[in-house]
Amino acid sequence: MSIYDFVVKTNKGVEKSLADYKGKVLIVVNTASKCGFTPQFKDLQDLYMKYKDKGLEILGFPCNQFAGQEPGSNAEVQEFCRLNYGVTFQIFAKGDVRGDNAQPLFQYLTQQQGFKGFDTAHPNAALLQKALEEHFPEYLEGDSIKWNFTKFLIDREGKVVARFEPTTEPSALAKEIEQLL
Amino acid sequence: MVKVYSINECPWCEKVKKYLKSKHVDFEEHNIEENEADRDACYKLTGDTIVPITTIDDKNYVVSFDKAKLDALLGL
Repeated sequence: MSIYDFVVKTNKGVEKSLADYKGKVLIVVNTASKCGFTPQFKDLQDLYMKYKDKGLEILGFPCNQFAGQEPGSNAEVQEFCRLNYGVTFQIFAKGDVRGDNAQPLFQYLTQQQGFKGFDTAHPNAALLQKALEEHFPEYLEGDSIKWNFTKFLIDREGKVVARFEPTTEPSALAKEIEQLL
Repeated sequence: MVKVYSINECPWCEKVKKYLKSKHVDFEEHNIEENEADRDACYKLTGDTIVPITTIDDKNYVVSFDKAKLDALLGL
């Protein structure tokens, strides 16, 4: 079994085999689907713009299993629409990434790279930990996806080499990405 | 040529297009949801994928249906 065996649906409902990404360095990330714009979307897009010509692809999987907080939410009606959260990398169809209906790709990814705790150096780590303990304690169990923007780094041969929890910002992945490119 | 960047089912885009038609302004519609090249061009121009974007010179642009700014941009 390898990551290239998985077939997923894009946000347009088109089937895509992950084998199409052989030879690329991949970041697979579960994204918030109700947040219109979060800093992590922008940071991921910045990473993409920086490394896509060198062989990086980012695959975003929207999910609404996590009651997303929308930073900077304002009460005004937005007088515009934003396509794909402002990113130009591939967004896939909305689906579950944890629990009984977790899509097979995410079951595989969490088997390959388990949960090692939140990056306690990050100021949000304690907040996220506390919020989960209070509201979704079952999410903390096992190797499941804990929140939006969990990132998996995959090398050019399809090996899932690292997992980064939501509290690790996209820019912190740059060094490891460069080593794989 | 005036360009309008749009996506499907976007009420703000519809407003812009309707307004331009009412003022007899010719424009090219570029749907960034359907066309990747258009999406990349829009992103390059604005640094985002927000629509509607109206531009006359691929440099200055108006976001959303902003009548005052559209009039200023197009000399209406």
